[in-house]
Amino acid sequence: MKNIYIILIFTLLIGCENAEKKSQEVNLYSQRHYKVDEKQYENFTNKTGIKVNYIKANADELLERLKNEGENSPADLFVSVDAGKLQKGADLGLFQKVSSSVIKNNVSKDLQDKNGYWIPITYRARVLVYSNERVNKEDLSTYEDLSNEKWKGRILVRSSSNAYNQALMSSIVANLGGDVASDWSEALVQNFARDPKGNDRDQVKAIAAGQGDVAIVNSYYIGLLLSSQKEEELNAGRSVSVFFPNQGDRGSHINISGLALAKNSPNKENAIKLMEFLTSEEAQMTYVNNSYEYAANPNVKPSKIVQGWGEFKRDNLDLNKLGEFRDEALKIFDSTGWK
Amino acid sequence: MEIKKILFSNNKRWIIGSFILAFLVLLPILTLFVRLPSLENTTFKYLWDTLLIDYTISTFYLLIITCFFSLLFAVLPAWIISNYQFAGRKFFDIVLYLPLAIPTYIMAFTYADILSFTGPLQVFFRKNFHSISDFVNHDYMQVEILGLLMGLALYPYVYSVCRVSFSLIGSNYINLSKNLGLSMTKTFFKVILPLSSPAIISGLFLVIMEVLNEYGAVKYFGVNTYTSGIFRAYGSMGDVGAAIQLSVLLLFVVLLFMYVEKKYHSRFKFYYSSNSKIQKLSILEKKNYLLSIVICFIPFLLGFLIPFLFIVSNIFLTYNQIDFLDLIELTLNSVSVSTLASVIVVLVVLFFLMVEKFTKSSFNRYTSEVISLGYAVPGAVIGLGLIILFTTIDRSQSSIVFYGSFFVLIYAYVVRFLAVGKSPIKSSLEKHPESYDETAKNLGLGPFNLLKKIHIPINKFAILTALIVTFIDLLKELPITLILRPFNFDTLATQTYEFAIEEMIPMSAAYSFIIIVIGSFLLIILKNSINKQINVS
Repeated sequence: MKNIYIILIFTLLIGCENAEKKSQEVNLYSQRHYKVDEKQYENFTNKTGIKVNYIKANADELLERLKNEGENSPADLFVSVDAGKLQKGADLGLFQKVSSSVIKNNVSKDLQDKNGYWIPITYRARVLVYSNERVNKEDLSTYEDLSNEKWKGRILVRSSSNAYNQALMSSIVANLGGDVASDWSEALVQNFARDPKGNDRDQVKAIAAGQGDVAIVNSYYIGLLLSSQKEEELNAGRSVSVFFPNQGDRGSHINISGLALAKNSPNKENAIKLMEFLTSEEAQMTYVNNSYEYAANPNVKPSKIVQGWGEFKRDNLDLNKLGEFRDEALKIFDSTGWK
Repeated sequence: MEIKKILFSNNKRWIIGSFILAFLVLLPILTLFVRLPSLENTTFKYLWDTLLIDYTISTFYLLIITCFFSLLFAVLPAWIISNYQFAGRKFFDIVLYLPLAIPTYIMAFTYADILSFTGPLQVFFRKNFHSISDFVNHDYMQVEILGLLMGLALYPYVYSVCRVSFSLIGSNYINLSKNLGLSMTKTFFKVILPLSSPAIISGLFLVIMEVLNEYGAVKYFGVNTYTSGIFRAYGSMGDVGAAIQLSVLLLFVVLLFMYVEKKYHSRFKFYYSSNSKIQKLSILEKKNYLLSIVICFIPFLLGFLIPFLFIVSNIFLTYNQIDFLDLIELTLNSVSVSTLASVIVVLVVLFFLMVEKFTKSSFNRYTSEVISLGYAVPGAVIGLGLIILFTTIDRSQSSIVFYGSFFVLIYAYVVRFLAVGKSPIKSSLEKHPESYDETAKNLGLGPFNLLKKIHIPINKFAILTALIVTFIDLLKELPITLILRPFNFDTLATQTYEFAIEEMIPMSAAYSFIIIVIGSFLLIILKNSINKQINVS
């Protein structure tokens, strides 16, 4: 039995050691978990001497954690890859406003939060990819058009439990209203080539396999596929092209990844320094060179692969709407059978 | 004096101690129940109306398929290996456990990749047999295939109990049945299977628990189970209350299975040791040799060899991008938390089972039963319970003492995996006659000495089994680690998962490789332990 006590004391000690270090650090709750992020944090530490600590988990779980911790929370920044989650956190009163002229100047105006609770660092577009063999580019136009009968049995997309699809549906509800979105979804489901499954990369592979002709995917993952180490995956990536929908009207749906300052941030100054650093040209270059995202800083061009798809007009919707209409979007998915 | 005697009599102290410990174990789940009545139930009602029937159907469909394949891959090989002597027997007896070292989600992701249009199978046909390549070009991400894959990942739970049971059923039974003119096949179906069914059911019970808790693999294959519903409420809809309600519903489903298992177990309880000598191995007839080899080889080939080789090939593909320092650090992290937690699990289990044995109070039978409940609750939900619990404690002290420390992480691990550590020790204890305890007590041995001098020595293989099985489960653990880990703490499982969901499967290979290698190594030790157990009895 003695062993139990020894072990318990031992675990407690490890825990306390963690809680003790306080000065010159900044604590992140992050939904982002790419290798490029670790690189950025290292660069930041080298530059400022401020250590970056992070916990990586799902956005909702992190928000729940933040909410329960309240005033005791060690978190300084919340990092998400979905504006909807940032809006949700702001709505729950978990964040505080950030006013930094440095950040404001670093970031494109139309990507900024109108309420000032979060700042964008990168963005991605939800694009269409189509089979070079079986689809004429001229036949593609908008997200809405995908519900047209001519696409029957040809559309590929992943599950509605995926946050990127939820954001897309929210944007359609916000732009066109719930009824239109619901009709659209209902007709789109009839055009599905198969039940939603897999990830974005799997949708592209399914086009290569001839299981469908047009897929709704994130630009980021196409970049990843096109840099695969596997010859066959590269071939699959090359057998499709990228199309930016709705260029004739509101523009293609985008979503940001961004940061918000926690309401009870214990290291507020350091947190703002990190936000300024991550939006600076230097750090934004690191993002685009190591991932296939678009930079929030307008002075930084995307990577070569991404530039190859050309420039596009982005939907200027207030990105907070992606969170506000989330519930309605989910109900539309469920009622129209988008699994 | 009288009152004092009752309060401080040996039994009371142990019973109170086990009550407190059981309370601590159940606390995260109780926290959820406490939050239950105050919830608005709109989301729950919504889910009930729209999705729950679908979820129920696909959950049970997936359960049936997975159980079918688990039985298919487990029972026949276990029978052959337990009864026949043939070249390769020893090899198969080791490797048939190995699929347990591969986490279910890695199995699902790996096979989806192998079978996909750009995977080796289809590429091979396109390059060499173009005419039939269309024939193999399918969408393999179907619920039936998922059930098959989960069967491959989980059948060792059934295999291991069958293997022990088939070996322990004495030759008397088999000889008797032969003398009565039953063929070996008939003996198998009419004598062996019924006698082994409690063991098989208990193995299947573990399979069922794993399927009910699986999230990564089912999500990837687009199959919606109860756990998907919990995550839909929790994740997408942000309705923690509805997630808790769904978890409670899931808990009832699990309790139902638990009840069935218990009922069955008590009705058909079979005391191996009181029977005859160990069955002698027969020599396999030549015409059956090839068939037996095939039957034993298929689960190993599909459940281990193919995914393992694919992962190794991915390592070669990405070897110049592997961060070896990171790999070593995460290995140490994984091994140290898993070791610590599995040791605590075994100590706690021993405590409960000893108190139950020593005091023989019906109350303690219940407590040692309910501590298994943690296994029935999805890891993410236990995590949620602990978040609510410890932030409440911390808030009342207005400082962070516990939360975000290793203490909470280990606590959650212990709550979740007590059942895993309990089952091998419990079944081993059941095999030994009560008279040991009585004799020891008459000789004046206290509970500590009883444990130290009698039960630990005679159950040492079961204890080792419990340690190893729990350790391997912890090594693969994902949802609890994700949400409860301290700052800057990664494990092999979390890193594998992060690469996998970012659609960089090849990059995850080095990390999953280590999980599988450590797990396999331990399973080989475990196998030796099981063999000794069989010989000891």
